[in-house]
Amino acid sequence: MLKLIQLELIKYKINGYVRVALIAMACIFGLICLIAFNRSEGQAFQDSETLFFAIDTFTKGTFIVFASVLLSRFIIDEYRTKSITVLFMYPINRKKLMIAKLFIVFSFTFISIVLCNLIVGSLMLLLNHFYEFMNETLTVGQVGRQALAIIMNALAASFISLIPLFFGMRKYSTAATIITSVLIVIAIYNVSDGFSLNSIVVIPIALSWIGAIIAYASFRNIERKDINP
Amino acid sequence: MPMTYVLQTHRLSKSFKGKESVSEVNMKVKQGEIYGFLGPNGAGKTTIMKMLTNLIKPTSGEIELFGEKLTPASYTMLGRIGSIIEYPIFYDKLTAQANLKLHCEYMGYYNKKAIGEALELVQLRGIDGKPVKDFSLGMKQRLGIARAIATKPELLILDEPINGLDPVGIKEIRNLLRILSQEYGISILVSSHLLAEIEQLADTIGVINHGRLIQEVSLEQIRETNAEYIEFQTNDCQKAAYVLTQHLNISNIRVIGNRSIRVYDLSIPLAQMNKALIMNDVALESIHQKNSSLEEYFIGLLNGGEQSA
Repeated sequence: MLKLIQLELIKYKINGYVRVALIAMACIFGLICLIAFNRSEGQAFQDSETLFFAIDTFTKGTFIVFASVLLSRFIIDEYRTKSITVLFMYPINRKKLMIAKLFIVFSFTFISIVLCNLIVGSLMLLLNHFYEFMNETLTVGQVGRQALAIIMNALAASFISLIPLFFGMRKYSTAATIITSVLIVIAIYNVSDGFSLNSIVVIPIALSWIGAIIAYASFRNIERKDINP
Repeated sequence: MPMTYVLQTHRLSKSFKGKESVSEVNMKVKQGEIYGFLGPNGAGKTTIMKMLTNLIKPTSGEIELFGEKLTPASYTMLGRIGSIIEYPIFYDKLTAQANLKLHCEYMGYYNKKAIGEALELVQLRGIDGKPVKDFSLGMKQRLGIARAIATKPELLILDEPINGLDPVGIKEIRNLLRILSQEYGISILVSSHLLAEIEQLADTIGVINHGRLIQEVSLEQIRETNAEYIEFQTNDCQKAAYVLTQHLNISNIRVIGNRSIRVYDLSIPLAQMNKALIMNDVALESIHQKNSSLEEYFIGLLNGGEQSA
């Protein structure tokens, strides 16, 4: 399995995506800075809680869309260009091939979200130390709870990020995949008055289940299906 | 000696949305031979090849490869087959070498020389650093063959491998396939809609049209049954037949319609037949010597298939 993942990464030149992900992180950092230092409407972030909430929302939104790009590249494109016929003529279990691809998208998204939260969050706290744009009252307990929240949120978001696969696979369309992801992000992370659909705990949980089921459905029957891209 | 088949199908059928595109095909490919799949476009050649490589599943019937039944989980069998189905497909942002390297990795074939050798065999040169998307169709075709043979498979399945090649290229590939068959003992299933190509290459021909295998016959056998002949056109066939059989003792003749007569026995020189006919007052309108090309034979088969379908 490790070998299969490695081959996929070579095949689709993962380095380029890592670079883009880093740039995205930098952009999120910049955006958060802009908001934090915009004093025209008073303090943007009252405390670290609202700060982390903002970072987390931007991060998840960005990397769910990013995941749809990865899905297009690693899975949809493979069907669209028919190279899946080459891949599926190898003496390798097709389920494993698909799982390797899904694992890459899932873990790339998960790791990016966690890292981005950690890096941007720490940088902001560091900046606050010098410029004090909010009242910081961070306790050890809060940090622990925040870390756990980030990880759980990232897990949910990574599963949710697989939902666009369902729409993309219908006509092997890259556009459909990416548009679905944008719509999902707008629907669940659209914040008004500090509230978004994502705040209702049931919704991200249900959506992550849907994402997991869609991922499973993409390879469940793949041995018996006609491969007719 | 028992005949061993590398590939057999039993009543293999495939329907798409209720429409049968392959029906009841029983084909047998012998170990080590070149089997030519001949049929017009859309006859079902590619569909059969996709079933052989497990890309699509038969609606009914069975496939036996290397003496074992092919099932959806027959992954190891796929490692013994090299193929081009429909047209050669690559990861076209990668170079030829990178594509072949990936292929060898996926096939579990770790011979460092394999890639260079395969590219040498198909004579693909000067491609270093060039992504496959910049290749011409002919180059892709060569690269496809290189990929198919790189891991020294036991069975090669090549769908229209000479598409997009120039005449020199066609000849090179033909020679290459012969070498692979004769020197490496690889069995080859090759499809084409061009009779002349198959005729020059195959040991056995399977003629397919409208999803049915109309005939499966060894080329040697066809050559025997489709001997050359001389055709006389005359308005007095009866008399001509009489002269040829009685005066010249030729038994192998056939009267076609009432204006022409074919002589299959070529042991007697044409001049002698000609003289005998004229001396017996048979007026000849034309004489035509037919050299055996298989074309008529196959067109006959294909047309026959059309009527019955």
